[in-house]
Amino acid sequence: MNVVTNDNIKTTAAVAALQQVYDPEIGLNVVDLGLIYELDFDNEHKQILCTMTLTTQFCPMGESITSGVKSALKSTFPDYDVELSLIFEPAWKYEMISEEGKQFLNR
Amino acid sequence: MDIAQVKTTSYKVVLPFYLYAAFSFLAAALLLFTASPAFLAHYFQPHILAITHTMALGWGTMIILGASHQLVPVIIEGKLYSNALAYISFIFAAVGIPLLVYSFYIFDMGAFAKWGGRFVLLSILAYIINLSVSISKSKNENVHAFFVLTSAVWLFLTVSLGLSLVYNFTSFLLPQDSLHYLPLHTHIGIIGWFLLLVIGVASRLIPMFLISKYTNTKLLWWIYFLINAALIAYVVLFYLSGNSSFILLLTLVLLTAVVLFGYYCYRAMQQRIRKQIDEQVKTSLLSVALMVVPVLLLFIIIICISMEHKEHVQLITAYGFLIFFGWLTSMILGMTFKTLPFIVWNKVYHHISSIGKTPNPKDLFSHFNYNLMSYCYLAGLVVFVSGIFLSQVLFLKLGAGLLTITAVLYNINVIKIMCHKRTLT
Repeated sequence: MNVVTNDNIKTTAAVAALQQVYDPEIGLNVVDLGLIYELDFDNEHKQILCTMTLTTQFCPMGESITSGVKSALKSTFPDYDVELSLIFEPAWKYEMISEEGKQFLNR
Repeated sequence: MDIAQVKTTSYKVVLPFYLYAAFSFLAAALLLFTASPAFLAHYFQPHILAITHTMALGWGTMIILGASHQLVPVIIEGKLYSNALAYISFIFAAVGIPLLVYSFYIFDMGAFAKWGGRFVLLSILAYIINLSVSISKSKNENVHAFFVLTSAVWLFLTVSLGLSLVYNFTSFLLPQDSLHYLPLHTHIGIIGWFLLLVIGVASRLIPMFLISKYTNTKLLWWIYFLINAALIAYVVLFYLSGNSSFILLLTLVLLTAVVLFGYYCYRAMQQRIRKQIDEQVKTSLLSVALMVVPVLLLFIIIICISMEHKEHVQLITAYGFLIFFGWLTSMILGMTFKTLPFIVWNKVYHHISSIGKTPNPKDLFSHFNYNLMSYCYLAGLVVFVSGIFLSQVLFLKLGAGLLTITAVLYNINVIKIMCHKRTLT
């Protein structure tokens, strides 16, 4: 898991919540899949900026995954506004799957 | 980037195609059951033409059009240009296909047949416009997009020639009778439309579903050029009334392309990260193997024609049957249950996927039903083909009966998925 962040403590809680959001096709959560690139906490303005990607642009599950990510962060940090930034550069690749994720897929 | 910018095609566009295709498969299987004895005579006859067009247009083309409206954005990494054009394409095809099939069934090439052909042609035209504009607006032109667009052009040519053949029955539009042009119409449809499209889409989807690291764009370009070169050369040879040894050479080129695609799928399987392969992907991989069977039959047919100077009707009938009920159907049976549950799941759960534990997309249909359908299908296919070669009506009836059960089970599962209501635990 290589999520870039400016707040390690809050990120631990955020990642725990995001591990409950699954890609329904692959059956793996978005964190172990390597879709979450960055979590930026603006504690002063109570804002979270989550920078993430999808396995492919126009992924049929894209809306469901992003909506799941937003809801998971919002329910963990109810006082914060959550903003998602979807990027495709760098593009997702299989090497981004965590070791736990690879073990899960290798079962 | 906002999610709205990479939003996929609406389910409302796609589902009518799937439903129409499912009913068409059932209708074709019922026609096959009632008209089984026709398969013991020459293939150019009303009931076989009706069954073939129900399978090629109602089943194969409709589901592929539906799936491609959904998958084209994934392949070209750009939005579908117009939902309205997709609806127009559906409506024209949905009206045109039954008119055409009914006309073949009663063998009246009058107004119904002509209007049927015109509507189907308009439907394909709408699809090509939609596809071309979508691809031209996309920043990412890749080999898969070339496969998809080229296949659509071949489809347009197939349907245009088909409509000319309908006119030729009454107006003598072409220099020779319609039967003469049947091999050309059939092969540009099967190879140009179905084979190119299936390889173009499957070469993107199979590695995706297997979570495979394998990519080989160069190999795909080779396959693309081999198929198109073989087909263009075949059209030229047909026009020049070329001899069968050249056609044998072209079949060899085609076989090479199919084997290379088999190799591509094999390497994708070898380099997959996900170890388990689900039943639906296994069925689709079976269809890749089933691609080889008709090509080999084509070899035998051409050799028989060149050596004995006569047509082996049973071989040609089996060849056509194995393409539509074998290769094409096995691919669709697998891919339907790989794509449709996700489309419906997305429709029902996309806003609430993290609120509670949602069922998996694969839980939206009955796996017992799916497995039973697969066994009935394989048994039906083998028994029916045996019936063609052994000239046994009983085998044909039994095979068609098993394929009808396959179609019923398929329809039950499709309707079960489409009627799925939200369940949260």
